Amino acid sequence: MNILLCCAAGMSTSLLVTKMEAAAKAEGISAKIWAVSASEINNHIDQADVLLVGPQVRYLLPKLKKTGLEKGIPVDLINSVHYGMCNGAEVLKFAKSLLDS
Amino acid sequence: MLEEKVMPVAGRIAGQRHLQALRDGIILTMPLLIIGSVFLILGFLPFDGYPEFMARTFGDNWLTKLLYPVNATFDIMALIAAFGVAYRLAEQYKVDALNAGAISVAAFILATPYFTLFTPEGATAAVQVGGVLPMAFLGSKGLFVAMILAMFSTEIYRFIIQKNIVIKMPDGVPPSVSKSFVALFPGFLVILCVWIIRLLIEKTSFESLHNVIGQLLQEPLGALGGTLIGALIAVFFVQLLWSTGLHGASIVGGVMAPIWLAQTDANRVALQAGKEIPNIISQQFFDIFIYMGGSGATLVFALMMLFMAKSQQSKQLGRLAIGPGIFNINEPITFGAPIVLNPLLIIPFILTPLALVITTYIGMSTGFAPKTAGVAVPWTTPPIIGGYLASGGNIRGALMQVINLAVAFVIYYPFFRMWDKQNFKVEQGANK
Repeated sequence: MNILLCCAAGMSTSLLVTKMEAAAKAEGISAKIWAVSASEINNHIDQADVLLVGPQVRYLLPKLKKTGLEKGIPVDLINSVHYGMCNGAEVLKFAKSLLDS
Repeated sequence: MLEEKVMPVAGRIAGQRHLQALRDGIILTMPLLIIGSVFLILGFLPFDGYPEFMARTFGDNWLTKLLYPVNATFDIMALIAAFGVAYRLAEQYKVDALNAGAISVAAFILATPYFTLFTPEGATAAVQVGGVLPMAFLGSKGLFVAMILAMFSTEIYRFIIQKNIVIKMPDGVPPSVSKSFVALFPGFLVILCVWIIRLLIEKTSFESLHNVIGQLLQEPLGALGGTLIGALIAVFFVQLLWSTGLHGASIVGGVMAPIWLAQTDANRVALQAGKEIPNIISQQFFDIFIYMGGSGATLVFALMMLFMAKSQQSKQLGRLAIGPGIFNINEPITFGAPIVLNPLLIIPFILTPLALVITTYIGMSTGFAPKTAGVAVPWTTPPIIGGYLASGGNIRGALMQVINLAVAFVIYYPFFRMWDKQNFKVEQGANK
């Protein structure tokens, strides 16, 4: 499972990545999780199975959803409370639910 | 209400193709500027006897030699931006970005004079020296020309390609041959246009496109963005956008970054020439002196949660927020507290940075604190260290930050108390 996260500079989402990796390890899931800035998405999206977007750049969501449609991967917004509290387990669950549906 | 009104406008500004390309393209210059800054700081450490020591150790020309990397980074800012902006814009149009970047660089050089004025020793009048590109125009002075030509040339480039203009070749010409001619056409048209523009401008008193754009656009915008009022308005919008949960710094920065970057570099040029530093407002004015702990100057809020909170929730968030907060990242606070759409916390979140703009402006204009020295300090540099480096290694830069932290503390404290009390009450209620 390859989970790509994006925000403005890829900095604050990288915080969440660490927590999600820990959650994945605890659940015994093997997953590649990484964060990039919005301008770098095109170079990374081909390796991703799902793209999660930080709430602070949600104005990019319509455009990114279109890109996701072209690439055939789900794209959605991270819940802002989970984002703020860096709740890795919940965001991981969300990523899985997007992949399953 | 805020959400409904602000969101579509912010979305349109932030998602606008050209602004996005500007922002993402100019970012290409940042790593170079930060690398150059290391050498810049070493050249101008404000210790007594430092220049003399360096001259004794490395010879009289030590400063010139030490600053070679500064010239190779700061002084080609516009050249790099010419490539970066065109590349990012071409990407948006899904046409060949590398080609568009190369054409844009050629267009930029084509708009630049191939001579410079030089006054020989003992002479009274300057003479024109050919066979050179003036370094000044390749740096921040040429930044706006580079940005405008990058957009102009990429627009022509993608227009021709997307219109699918084909040159009909007689039968018998191999298709790859005709294709290779067609590939040259968009670039040729760009060069032709910029060439004609240059010839026309050379007929006027402006002499070059750099003077036209410099006098009509870059200087007026710099003057506007460099005022106290301009800074207050920019900061107000950043905070307003963040209050609705949108990345204000990224949205406002897309518009203001070229202006503040040019202001930063004007300070660097003055420092290097041994002149008085001209600009108070620069990129580092905001990144380092205002946004300590992230947009909203929330470092003090993180410290209060960590050390002064009664509620468990506040303490827990404090532990989560302090690490990134030291590096000026505060999403855990903005979304976790939350500050976003929370009327109580939005008040100090907006007021504090505005107050800090005023204190820093006063501090720098009275000479109490040094102006930023053109050093490109990364925005993730922790406070105190950041102020020291941004002012070119001056301890009073760090002191200014300490004062700002104290001001931020005073404004945030009563709101923190109320917020923490609310959390505490909810927890007590839940425990009963």
